[in-house]
Amino acid sequence: MSKSIVAVRVAGALVLVWLAVASVAIAGETIYAGPRQWSPNAGAGSAFSGSWLANRFATYGSGYDKAVTFIDNKTYSWHNTLRNRSGYTETFAPPAPMVKKGHCVSYDLGFWGSCAVR
Amino acid sequence: VLLAVAVGAAGALAGGVVASALRDFDDPAGLAAAIEHDPLVRVAEIPAADGAAARGIYAQATSTGHLCLWEAPSPTSRRRQGGCNDLDDPLAGEELSFSLAYEGGPATRSVREARVFGLASSAVARVQVLMSDATRRDVPIRETAALGIGGTAYASFAYRFGARDLARGVGPVAVIALDAQGAEIDRQTTGFGG
Repeated sequence: MSKSIVAVRVAGALVLVWLAVASVAIAGETIYAGPRQWSPNAGAGSAFSGSWLANRFATYGSGYDKAVTFIDNKTYSWHNTLRNRSGYTETFAPPAPMVKKGHCVSYDLGFWGSCAVR
Repeated sequence: VLLAVAVGAAGALAGGVVASALRDFDDPAGLAAAIEHDPLVRVAEIPAADGAAARGIYAQATSTGHLCLWEAPSPTSRRRQGGCNDLDDPLAGEELSFSLAYEGGPATRSVREARVFGLASSAVARVQVLMSDATRRDVPIRETAALGIGGTAYASFAYRFGARDLARGVGPVAVIALDAQGAEIDRQTTGFGG
């Protein structure tokens, strides 16, 4: 394999990594769902971590029923759930050492939004 | 090597487009940053009950042009939850806007603690919660100067549901706004138990 092909492959891999980071980590947020169109009972979850601080669901416009919560990795119970129709919905994480994931769920049809943890 | 540079430049451009598109999506990241720093004003409270600590209800007009309503132990606490709407339409076109906060679930029977809090227009004289057993709970409501926005007054309300109700599976079904004559002028379902 020539050096130029190796260089191209390495550069391509770096670009892919950079693209992934740029698209999900903005202003300290890790976007784990969307922006996309949502339907009733559609949900999404982040990775499990002990260090998440907050979880938010932002929509384009307001009036859409949705919820954000944290789910622990032992009982899979919901913690600090917050449900409303605001354009921006946020809750806080249970403290460490609990390992938890951010979870967001839509109860409405046909709106655009994204979910992120930080 | 030239190809590698070209691929890198194209990737950087594409990444910039992706990042820009996400920032432009009503700028949730910008709002998330603003709510970390903009001041909060206490507008209501949920008294301690059933072993749960008291919580404050705080309004926050952000530098991004939003009005947020949070429930938190204190104005500086990061243990807060709530929501934000555009400052020029904080009720999203309705007579009231509310958040339902709870611990436990998702099954209704496993919910251990639940509260509701929100804002109402000046046309709202009373707020009630319709429970799943068809009874109603009166929710304290109060106008506050802190919520005079653009010459329009708003009232805040907050309520903690009884542990006994939750233990027997009775939860909030809808939040109802009544005018001064007792007529229902808004009703929004909570989805609780649904």
